[in-house]
Amino acid sequence: MLRKTLTDDTFYLNMGPQHPSTHGVLRLLLRLDGERIVECEPVLGYSHRGHEHMAQTKSYLRFMPNPSRMDYLAGLMYNHAYCLALERACGVEAPRRAQYIRLICAELNRIASHLLWFGAYLLDLGGFTPFLYAFDDREDILAILGEVTGSRLTYSYCRFGGVARDLTPAFPQMTRAFIAKLRARLADYDTLVSKNIIFINRTKGIGPISREQARDYALSGPNLRACGIGHDLRRVEPCSVYPDLDFQTVTTNQDAGIGDCYDRYLVRMGEMAQSLDIVEQALELIPEGPIRAKGVPQEPAPPPGDYQFSYESARGLLSIYLVSDGSRVPVRMKWRTPSFSNLSILPLLLPGTLVADTVAILGSLDLVIPEIDR
Amino acid sequence: MGVGQYLNDLVTGAWSLASGMGVTVRYMFKPVSTVQYPRERLPLPEAYRGHIELIPHEGGHRCVACGECFRTCPSAVIKVQGFKRQASDHTRARYFFIDYSRCSLCGLCVEVCPEKALRFSREYEQAEVSRYGAVVDLMARLHEGGPS
Repeated sequence: MLRKTLTDDTFYLNMGPQHPSTHGVLRLLLRLDGERIVECEPVLGYSHRGHEHMAQTKSYLRFMPNPSRMDYLAGLMYNHAYCLALERACGVEAPRRAQYIRLICAELNRIASHLLWFGAYLLDLGGFTPFLYAFDDREDILAILGEVTGSRLTYSYCRFGGVARDLTPAFPQMTRAFIAKLRARLADYDTLVSKNIIFINRTKGIGPISREQARDYALSGPNLRACGIGHDLRRVEPCSVYPDLDFQTVTTNQDAGIGDCYDRYLVRMGEMAQSLDIVEQALELIPEGPIRAKGVPQEPAPPPGDYQFSYESARGLLSIYLVSDGSRVPVRMKWRTPSFSNLSILPLLLPGTLVADTVAILGSLDLVIPEIDR
Repeated sequence: MGVGQYLNDLVTGAWSLASGMGVTVRYMFKPVSTVQYPRERLPLPEAYRGHIELIPHEGGHRCVACGECFRTCPSAVIKVQGFKRQASDHTRARYFFIDYSRCSLCGLCVEVCPEKALRFSREYEQAEVSRYGAVVDLMARLHEGGPS
């Protein structure tokens, strides 16, 4: 921690842990020279709940509600990843219908997460209007997910070997209506935000990350793709029914290999459009059939061994490392969450920038603090 | 930067702001999407998960106090106590309490129940002034015929 006695004209500024634009309880210890940042140190641990330890003290089944509490904005994706990891460890496969249902819900959740980021980021930069539109759209997704899962934020919907409930008859129609609505809205967002001169001035050229830096700091998700590296686990290591679907990996700056805040914004907006395509295709392809695998034990107990599973969450590479001794309680369950690596590049990006740009850079990384602390 | 470029930037910038304002103005004449709670309420989805409740069954309930929900619950929300009138009777649940403040609404208890005696209630305004207010006596709730 920065505890040096300052002999020059610099001073320390604490940004957070209660700062509204750190989105959670992140504390940034900034050393400033006037309005310029000299040094930055993120301080973590304000929302540590010990999820990994909790996993070691309860059975796999009883850990089910926890993953969605790690990243509450993409709860369903964490839930999905946990179930897929367990299924891979136990050699169980969920029925096709269940896999499609999970995938549709996870992709809707990805859109909801990006929409919230979009709204909150613009709010950080001082634009209030897009926030209201984003939340209006997100509300539609929450209504759709509420219709099928019965919950709006922390879903606990996927189960070992299937899903908890089947789709309702209203679901496909609601989702199609939403897809049409959001496509029109994305065009509006383009006019309202992407081409807005104030937004461009606040984000273009701010917080540039080069391809090499992104690799060095193990960035993942949209932050990595904004540097021109088309690494998307849905394509690189496809799980579930992703191979059946046709979609593009959104990248920007493939030639320049350097991505700023504006590029990260563009990648997320592009991903929303891609997710809409995925959901639309999956709705066409979804087969009839059971939603829970038959003959699956209620309490999963993977055979002794080490298992690893990776998943592309809304913020990047989510990886679960599981050590089992054959019992119903894991020996170790390590969660590699994307925001931790994404945050670690901040001390590299901030020196030399203005305090006002801190918010723009921090927001563009799309951090969810409880996911870092776990 | 030449004068031409400067003027071009000026015009493009001004146009981007005007077209953005156009979007805002257009939305001003669209229907509102907010609901004036508490005077108006949104309908709850059919799948809505409130805290659990016992399903009424022939003037009582189906719970046999096997304790499966109690053992599966990740957060020790449920307390259930069975009772037999005489040795040859089947055990029936007499006390069924939940501490809703600890519940994460995962629904595992509803799924594991072998008698299918539990379901989700449709309660959603559950603010309480004390943590003891979150303790719900499901038996009393069943007999009073609380909102379902």
